[in-house]
Amino acid sequence: MVVSLLLGLPAAVGLWLVSGGRAMPVRAARPLAAVTAAATLVLAILTVTGADEVDRAWLPELGVRWSFGVDGISVPLVLLTAAVGVVVTLHAWVELPAGGSPATFLGSLLVVEAGALATFTARDAVLFLVAFELVLVPMWVLVGRYGAPHPARARTEAALRFVLYTAVGSTVLLLGILLLVASAGTADLRELAGGAGAALDGGTQLAVALLLVVGLAVKVPVFPFHTWLPPAHTTAPTAGSVLLAAVLLKMGTYGLVRLPVATVPEGTATLAPALAVAGAVGIVWGGLVCLVERDLKRLVAYSSVAHMGFVVLALASGSETGLQAALFANVAHGVVSALLFVLVGGLKQRWGDVDLAVPRPALRETSPRLGFVLVLGLAASLGLPGLAGFWGEVLAIYSAWAPAADRPRVVLLACAVVAALGAALAAAYCLRVAGIVWAGDRPDRDAPRTPDTHGVEQVLLGVLSLGVVVLGVAPMLLLSTTADAVARIGGGP
Amino acid sequence: MTPWLVVGLPVVASVVGLAVRRDDRIARVVAVGAGAAALFVALLGWLVADDRAMLVAGPGLRAGELDVPLDLVVDPPRAAVAAVVALVALAVQVYSTWYLAADDRYGTFAATVSLFTGAMLLVVHSADLLLTVVGWEVMGWCSYLLVGHWSRRASARRAALKAFLVTRVADVAFVLGLVGLAAGAGSTSLGLVLDAWARPTECIDAETAAGSSLGGALTLCDAPDARVRAVLLVLVVVGVLGKSAQVPFQDWLPDAMEGPTPASALIHAATMVAAGTVVLAGLFPVLAESPTARWVLGVSVSVTMLLAAVLAFAQSDLKRMLAWSTVSQVAVMLAALAGSPLDAGPDGGLLHLWSHALFKALLFLALGWAALAAGGTAVAALRGSAADAPLLRLAVAAGFLSLAGVPLVVGGVSKEHVLATVWDGAVAADGPGVLVLVALVVTSSVTAAYSTRGYLLLTAHTRGGPEPVTPPAAVRAVLGTLLVLTVLGGLVVLTGTFAVHSVSLLWLLLTAVVVAVGVAVALRGGFDRDPAEVLARRFVPVADRGLGVDLLYRRLVARPVLRLARLVAFVDTEVIDAYVRGTVVGTRAAGWAGQRLHRAERPGAGVGLVLGAVVVLAALALLAATGVLRWS
Repeated sequence: MVVSLLLGLPAAVGLWLVSGGRAMPVRAARPLAAVTAAATLVLAILTVTGADEVDRAWLPELGVRWSFGVDGISVPLVLLTAAVGVVVTLHAWVELPAGGSPATFLGSLLVVEAGALATFTARDAVLFLVAFELVLVPMWVLVGRYGAPHPARARTEAALRFVLYTAVGSTVLLLGILLLVASAGTADLRELAGGAGAALDGGTQLAVALLLVVGLAVKVPVFPFHTWLPPAHTTAPTAGSVLLAAVLLKMGTYGLVRLPVATVPEGTATLAPALAVAGAVGIVWGGLVCLVERDLKRLVAYSSVAHMGFVVLALASGSETGLQAALFANVAHGVVSALLFVLVGGLKQRWGDVDLAVPRPALRETSPRLGFVLVLGLAASLGLPGLAGFWGEVLAIYSAWAPAADRPRVVLLACAVVAALGAALAAAYCLRVAGIVWAGDRPDRDAPRTPDTHGVEQVLLGVLSLGVVVLGVAPMLLLSTTADAVARIGGGP
Repeated sequence: MTPWLVVGLPVVASVVGLAVRRDDRIARVVAVGAGAAALFVALLGWLVADDRAMLVAGPGLRAGELDVPLDLVVDPPRAAVAAVVALVALAVQVYSTWYLAADDRYGTFAATVSLFTGAMLLVVHSADLLLTVVGWEVMGWCSYLLVGHWSRRASARRAALKAFLVTRVADVAFVLGLVGLAAGAGSTSLGLVLDAWARPTECIDAETAAGSSLGGALTLCDAPDARVRAVLLVLVVVGVLGKSAQVPFQDWLPDAMEGPTPASALIHAATMVAAGTVVLAGLFPVLAESPTARWVLGVSVSVTMLLAAVLAFAQSDLKRMLAWSTVSQVAVMLAALAGSPLDAGPDGGLLHLWSHALFKALLFLALGWAALAAGGTAVAALRGSAADAPLLRLAVAAGFLSLAGVPLVVGGVSKEHVLATVWDGAVAADGPGVLVLVALVVTSSVTAAYSTRGYLLLTAHTRGGPEPVTPPAAVRAVLGTLLVLTVLGGLVVLTGTFAVHSVSLLWLLLTAVVVAVGVAVALRGGFDRDPAEVLARRFVPVADRGLGVDLLYRRLVARPVLRLARLVAFVDTEVIDAYVRGTVVGTRAAGWAGQRLHRAERPGAGVGLVLGAVVVLAALALLAATGVLRWS
């Protein structure tokens, strides 16, 4: 019951805001969206604590059930999504992009949230796909209508590219899911993970795994399918970027855990070396591009490619440690990238652009609070222990070093070494940004000063910073949540 | 006394200190108060430390197959090192209240120093490889913040970046090495890792005695692969070389002198650069069994200690001279680990760490005082700046005596022990003992020479020397304490904290002779001239640049990486993205073609449509057929 409300509330309010309530004035729409998101967060907590579920026949002819519920793997992501929902709706007080009615903007945010929650709670493969697709349209609206106004052409192109690219990914994913469901005879993810998928013969497993992995790799994104991400991030409004990084990318990695890894272990094992190599290359690739990238938003986007590389590498290792690492790094990246995008979005709002080649007074001198949060975010991004980024990445390197017995040891060992090198690159690009934006000479008296953060933005940055620190200091909170569910997947045949 | 308290107090102090950083007075109370509390707890921990190592359970992580207990451990040498770390940290905190009184970011500085201390104490007490990495990396980050504290200066920004990046590159090896060691044990617990990688000697002896071949015995006893172990330990050693500024990573440390002097005292005396000694001491039972790793360590530290001592001698900036002397002295600590035999244990190195912390902190804090009076740390400015303040003069004298390794003061005692253990190792001859021993003896002489130079310059009688500055009583008390400990600290060997053999009179005499040679050489130009001017005038500018290694780093690492990055960025937009743009063009073309067909005359359009439909339907049918077949 609660879980239906959890999905229904943001979906209903969101859909009403983009349709009937389109003309709603800002002063009513903003509180409505924020209250909805807050209520959704409460519902999410209730769902998680009560382990609530719903299971009804939906399309009996196809054997598809209306089945939603949570387990250890989805709990952190459901909470993350609900929390990010609150963040983005509150952020509307900081920045309300032009390009259409505010109500449509807020409604789109809520619909994305609802779709993501449905994705994370769906226990049916077809349902999962439907929820997955549901997110694309409002996201397209956010990027295409409310994106950076300046080059209109670039905005349309980024939005189109996002939608078409990921739709191609979805098509491949659809084929994979259809093949899986048709050959296993059930669409229930629990049954599929419980042995129905593993019982398939090797060829089918490989075909299913290939389709699923490629389809999801576009969403994650995994190198070399990542080029839709930087333009989408650069163009999207801050709230859109936050949703994109903290929620949409997570749907891809979550899908990798739920579908190929859990349902067709044998096929996934065959693909694992390729996946590991793609992950490791992505880590170094993203890191290298970040060393020379001029646009700060693009830079954060490329760093996301690197971070998702760690997640994919950990998944490819096939061990329980790897799964734990992947799930942790996934959530950690969600919080860290949300923090960085709120921050960089704020800088873009203040400066007009975030070109690193333009000299500006150092944040440490003019706006110490913003500067502090920036340094915290960068430190988390480079994997400093005590902050969120560290545990997932170090465990990912470990899992690649000590993979499951059926994985090719040498390939994964090489990937572990490459990933560790990527960690050094992360330090280099993070400190590059710190050196340009944060530290600098004492500014001239008459130079334009960057206004420091205050009000809603300060609260949001504070809460996200707290999340980054808590995850880093007490990783056991998250790791113990996911441990049992991971053991079930890892303990499968 | 739980070591979690020792580690936790400074960490909590840093969080609180960060919250109250705007108010210098509160920040001061928090920093100094927590420092004193941590010292008190650490001293208690040392007093009650048993001879047997006591494991203190940590929170533990559920990380799949890998067991991550996150335990801490207390044993006498660790407790003693923790106490000296806490002492130096407290001294630095007290000193900073005076030294940085006018700094607008004092609060941030004090909080960072607290965090730094906590991280070092974590490394000291860690019984878990992952916790070691945590402390290790946090220290690196704090060094970035402290070296770059005066971030308004471009040179400080560059030095901070360099310090962090050079150590971080070495940390790639460090992390991989520790990960590999943990993978062999299936656990990050230090004890289990040591068990997993130790050579089961008794079992092997028993099996070979029972008649099996060596290879067979190794298999029967489930002995770890010695080659893998060697690779992993070499990786760890490389990480330690980076953090401890040993060749080839040595160049970041002198540049790190851009940080405020109290930060330098902390980084050099008790924390970051010395941390490698603690980590390797923890791994010593395994390290001692791997000649390869000991050779790598031995060669690097031998080269480093001598090179750094020579460079220290010829520096035209006394703070940089101290920096190079740290590089050289840390090499001496590591030499004890590289050269000592298995049964001697790592305590010789730890003892030198302990004593170095005391006298180096004293020297840095004294130099900071002198520099404050003189207005700079260059030889020209500092000349004679310690001559007129008796306490300062005494502190400089004791510090340099100890650095030179004169018998009976703390530095002399520990260095004799290092020499004695390395001698044992050289006699046993299964490692780089002889090389290390020779380097140690020569380095001792050079060290005595530059110590003499430092003392001569600081206390030279010059006309119109700088106006003396008098620090507050608390700072003088701190210097006094360090001074007393520097003179008498050698008594620590009588407490039995460090498991070191007693040193014979022969070693005492030998070190005295070696030191005397160095002093005599330095005094060739008499008491009034700068020995570097007399002996190595041309070498001074070269030494100031650190032999130009910085250029090497840029040419060999920074530039190629940036070139590669530009290439990758180009490929990313022009090649990888090209097929994406290609699909756009393709889709448009298909759309255009479809439109044309649709508008064209019936027959043609019809054929096209039908053909298209057939292809789509065939694909679907194929799919459905396979699906149905499998379903049934």
